[in-house]
Amino acid sequence: MFDTQTISLGIEILAATILVTTFLIVSSRSLMFYVRLFAIQSFLLGLVALLVAVGFGETHILIAAILTIVVKATVIPIALSKVIDKIKVRKEIDFTINITTSLLLCALLVILADSVARPILEAQRMSDLAVFKVLPMSIAVMMIGLFIMIARKQAVSQIIGLLTMENGVFLSGLSITYGMPLIVEVGIFFDIFVAVLILGVFVFRINQTFDTINVDTIRRLRH
Amino acid sequence: MSVVYFLVLLGIPVAGAIVCTLLRRRRWFEYVTVTSTGLTFLATLWLTSLVLQGATIMTPKGWFFLDALSVYLLVIVSGSTLVVALYSIGYLHRQIRNKKVDGSMLRLYYILLNAFLSTMMLVLVSNNLGFLWIGTEATTLATAFLVAFYERESSIEAAWKYVIICSVGIAFALFGIILTYFSALHVVSSADNALNWSTLIAVGKQLNPDILKLAFVFILVGFGTKAGLVPLHTWKPDAYSEAPAPISALMAAGLVNIALYALLRFYILVNKAVGGSFAPNLFIIFGLVSMGVAVPFILLQRDYKRLLAYSSVEHVGIIVFALGLGTPLAYFGALLHMLNNTLAKLVLFLTAGNIRIAYDSKIIRRVTGAIKVMPVSATLFILGVFAVTGWPPFGLFVSELSIVTAGFSAGNVFASVLFVGFVATVFVGFIYYATGMVFGEPSRHDKKGDGDTLSLVVIAVLVVFLLVLGTMIPTMIYNFIMRAAAVIQV
Repeated sequence: MFDTQTISLGIEILAATILVTTFLIVSSRSLMFYVRLFAIQSFLLGLVALLVAVGFGETHILIAAILTIVVKATVIPIALSKVIDKIKVRKEIDFTINITTSLLLCALLVILADSVARPILEAQRMSDLAVFKVLPMSIAVMMIGLFIMIARKQAVSQIIGLLTMENGVFLSGLSITYGMPLIVEVGIFFDIFVAVLILGVFVFRINQTFDTINVDTIRRLRH
Repeated sequence: MSVVYFLVLLGIPVAGAIVCTLLRRRRWFEYVTVTSTGLTFLATLWLTSLVLQGATIMTPKGWFFLDALSVYLLVIVSGSTLVVALYSIGYLHRQIRNKKVDGSMLRLYYILLNAFLSTMMLVLVSNNLGFLWIGTEATTLATAFLVAFYERESSIEAAWKYVIICSVGIAFALFGIILTYFSALHVVSSADNALNWSTLIAVGKQLNPDILKLAFVFILVGFGTKAGLVPLHTWKPDAYSEAPAPISALMAAGLVNIALYALLRFYILVNKAVGGSFAPNLFIIFGLVSMGVAVPFILLQRDYKRLLAYSSVEHVGIIVFALGLGTPLAYFGALLHMLNNTLAKLVLFLTAGNIRIAYDSKIIRRVTGAIKVMPVSATLFILGVFAVTGWPPFGLFVSELSIVTAGFSAGNVFASVLFVGFVATVFVGFIYYATGMVFGEPSRHDKKGDGDTLSLVVIAVLVVFLLVLGTMIPTMIYNFIMRAAAVIQV
């Protein structure tokens, strides 16, 4: 129906949009907005996986694509917005790094990601993979996810940062290997899902015991 | 046929966890868990004898396999879990009497203990690196609520920190595994085999060295977080000091070895593919830095559970350093040290649990005259302290001596001198605090009361084992370690 080049172009555009969502997360202070952006990001990631599955005939990734859309783009965002409703904290107030500086640093991270990806791309002849341009973007998504965890202190922001990182890792896998074998992908999905559930329970409990979910204000555990 | 072995090994603890969810009576949780951990231990001994007699055991698709290295770790980890299960009985009874634990918490504890064991087993039997990752992340998830067990503010915070930091680390490791897989896809014809460690080792020299180097850096960060290598060790003191004593013990004795095992598998692979001194140098540097950073935290410590946690950081450093030296003697020393450290950590964390209950405090200065309050536990504790600081005639003396000898004969004089300096300094700090806790006069409020007989007997057996390893290593164990070390030396 479409040739490989068109599909690759589609995947590249989707990946670039995913990168844009991470920048939007960094630029905002509303927790609900973070969750919605994460849902969009995961939906786009699911579409990338779907294109890889259908476009390149890698059917084993089809289930991972569906899981991404169902679990990451739907179930987890719904659960997280329930958490936000319950804890009644709507805004990220405590910024270790302000928004302007954050955006500049994230732009630098994108350049850094490109230089990390270059040796990988040069080390192997990349002719057989049509979507290798996505690798630098996926590394950038990972790095920005980690950045969100460092720069934003609310518990929900930390979860979003972690999930964004995981999305970046999944995207990198899609771009250079067309995804891992099915059983492995399903196992990884299960682990991530359970991790989010457990973290969600902790957010509830931290909130119950401290009346705030700002993880930085709790500093009892110094040596 | 080989599938049956793995079904048995993974099935017993999973069954234990499921049965615990169905039970109501307190006693039954204990019976079931002691049975499941005991059977798992027996099964690993049986599989060990099979592996040591013949070749490796592998399932048809190569997802799971056993060689001398994995069964060595299986015995250590399942043995530690059995010890912890036996200790937990008396410990939790006392906590119920102190109104710190109720019936439903008890059930959760035993379900998660079984689940924890099954996830550790999964890591150790995985040939497929994807499963290895899944198992490692699952160990974090199985222990999350155990760290938060007492539901104090500080324990929930510790558990939060633990899950977040370890999940970030493990995400990096996943990227490293993807890079490894990517490099393998160019060499291995079938994508199904391209994640299998045994396949990768066979084609090792054809893998792209530059990609594997980068992959190893991510994997070192990822599994290094889980092992508690500096600078990613920060979750460890919090989690170890907040978790119930038997769980801290199992994290220091089991989980640490799981992470080291995962690192070791990649270390072997990268050495094969890259050769030279890339991975060994990283190990030497990270090992020494972990030892060095632990020193001031051990010297200036107020909390004895955190003291033990930093000792764990130090000993992970020792093992990683030894692996980095890369000679047969160093590999022998590293593997022997894994066993010794496991035994010493079990002794220390479990006796510290008894001290904690008697004094109701984790503060070192609050604990004085333990030898009068709880003679047996205090004696075992001080013996454990001598063992962990590398005194003869305990096992750690032998393994640390092998490592230093290997270091000097490999020409790493400066690194080896640092190693000796760190070990000696830690010794001074440890003895200073431990003698203060054990000797002297107890304050008037401290009522006498030692641990239960069963757990004291179990801990005493561990101390005897440490003495045996320090004086005359049985030929059987020596040969076993040599077989496991041969796996590293490909």
